[in-house]
Amino acid sequence: MAVAAPIGMKVRTRRKARGLTQKALAQKVGISASYLNLIESDRRAVGGSLLQRIAEQLGLELADLSGDQERRLVERLGELAADPSILQHRIDPGTASALVSRHPDWAAAMLSLSRAVRDADQQITALTDRLDQDPALMEAVHQVLNNAAAVRSTMEILSSVEDLPTEQRARFVDIVLSQSGELSGTAERLVALFSVGNTRNRSLSPAEEVDDFLIQNQSYFPPLEDAARDLRREIRSFGQTIEGALTAFLVQRFDISVFNRSPVDADLSRFRNHCHYDEANRVLLFLDNAPPSTRQFQLARLACQLTAPDLIDAVARDELLTSDEARTRARGALASWLAAAALFPYETFLEDAVRHRYDVELLRQRFSASVEQICQRLVSLRKPGAEGIPFGFLRADPSGHISKRFPIAGLPVPRSGNGCPLWPLYGAFQTPDRVIRQLAEFPNGSRYLFIGRTVRHEPALFHEAPFLHAVMLACDVVHADQTVYADGLDFAARHMATPVGPNCRLCSRSDCLHRGEDSILYSR
Amino acid sequence: MTDSGADRSAKQILIAEDEPNIVELLTFILERAGCVTRAVTDGEAAIAEIRREAPDVLLLDLMLPKHDGYAVLKAVRGSADNAELPVVMLTAKGQERDRKVAESLGVNAFITKPFSNQDVVDQVLALAGAGAPAR
Repeated sequence: MAVAAPIGMKVRTRRKARGLTQKALAQKVGISASYLNLIESDRRAVGGSLLQRIAEQLGLELADLSGDQERRLVERLGELAADPSILQHRIDPGTASALVSRHPDWAAAMLSLSRAVRDADQQITALTDRLDQDPALMEAVHQVLNNAAAVRSTMEILSSVEDLPTEQRARFVDIVLSQSGELSGTAERLVALFSVGNTRNRSLSPAEEVDDFLIQNQSYFPPLEDAARDLRREIRSFGQTIEGALTAFLVQRFDISVFNRSPVDADLSRFRNHCHYDEANRVLLFLDNAPPSTRQFQLARLACQLTAPDLIDAVARDELLTSDEARTRARGALASWLAAAALFPYETFLEDAVRHRYDVELLRQRFSASVEQICQRLVSLRKPGAEGIPFGFLRADPSGHISKRFPIAGLPVPRSGNGCPLWPLYGAFQTPDRVIRQLAEFPNGSRYLFIGRTVRHEPALFHEAPFLHAVMLACDVVHADQTVYADGLDFAARHMATPVGPNCRLCSRSDCLHRGEDSILYSR
Repeated sequence: MTDSGADRSAKQILIAEDEPNIVELLTFILERAGCVTRAVTDGEAAIAEIRREAPDVLLLDLMLPKHDGYAVLKAVRGSADNAELPVVMLTAKGQERDRKVAESLGVNAFITKPFSNQDVVDQVLALAGAGAPAR
């Protein structure tokens, strides 16, 4: 939608500079003084011949008063207001017009500053990621460490073995001389750079803080796992089916009623994931089209929130969560986590996952769950001594934006924005509902098995369009043969791997035909 | 490949490493500690050599040509005869991820370069069941 151009202040400033009163200018251009006042306070849009006359009287070009420049400023400030780093100021994008009108220089300066901050942030991210991604750098580090190892080992021998024959001593001295004495120092500097690369960047947004919190805990929370076990045991006594037992549990323990609503009668703006909890009236409402897996999960989630609020609060009191909003989001994520743990008990789920070789389709049916619920539970199988395969998990929307991420150590996933277009996370959109496997090789030589597919959100009404997300599991290739997804793939043949990257900006592959953006790895 | 072992009671160590200087140094320190060493310079040769005659300990570099150290370790652990073979992984990468992957594949010890000779000897002898480390 076009933004009204705030040119009023420019007209007023120019008029005063030329010594004209409102009344005088209004007469010259054939309008009333009060109408000019409305124009000067941006309460009336102006164009056509009137704008032409005003420009002439003020000695300006028409282009100066077209408002195009101001309109662009307003639009860009509106985008800036939605930036996660300043969300806490709750800026109303609608006030951008007033700022541009009154203080266009300040508005332009703010945009310049925000651009500079964003560029600097991207550079930091890129340089940090480069340490893990640049094959030349990796090779250099490898070589330097090898040389340093040879020097150190030789020096230890020379200094500790006294009865070394002369010829052998000379040979060892040769080895030391053949290596650069500076290599050890270089190695240390490079390793230090790597350790800088491994340090965690301060997250900007509450959502990113929650991501970091989950990643830091490897998405595994022992106290919640224990609570889930107790809760499951209690709920089971309320009924035969899980949904029935959960409903009875909520009714009897918390006096909460559970109803269905037709999407036609419901205020859809209040519903999320096909359900809405009306806390004041203690009613949990589901849309008629809520899938059984969603019903089961949301019932469990509410049961967990009401049963273990103190425990969830305690787990969410973490130094990584620096704001109230981040802690609120984390409490929501932990309630979901607890619900999954209650519905898919750890030992049973792990046993089934291993027995069925992590076949998500099979597990989904076995636990009456959605694909995404199963994938996230697989990620959380990190109990020491009873671990499943370390899986990473990503979810993307059709625009390519990664909306959920559980990286695993080593898997190069960008912190924000899109990933590599060659990942099956994106390929899945071309063949909805089909599972796509990929043996992916990153520029640093690390290889992963990627498993992608879409998940469909069915519309509630005729007027609503179905919506697809794509999800992707990732595991290191060394674990791949424990999964059904490796069947028939040849992992020994390196040429069978698809060369991928983290995303175009952070990818060093100069020969990729699918590059959509220049890499910054070699351009600086 | 080198094979200096006529002494059948000495511990047999297979070194899989592609840097000639490192091979030479490892050979020296291990033989001085009373071991008999053999060396190969790529992963494929390592797997073949273990099949031909299993050593008491495999000292395995991670970044090997042909099959890398992970592939060798996996082949060893998956083999019928040598699944229990003690393996010390030697690597110039040393990142936490490499260590975790190696551990998940069943490595017995993990040494990063630049290493201390004594550390290598201690780890190898401990896994070879040679008792107190020799000097």
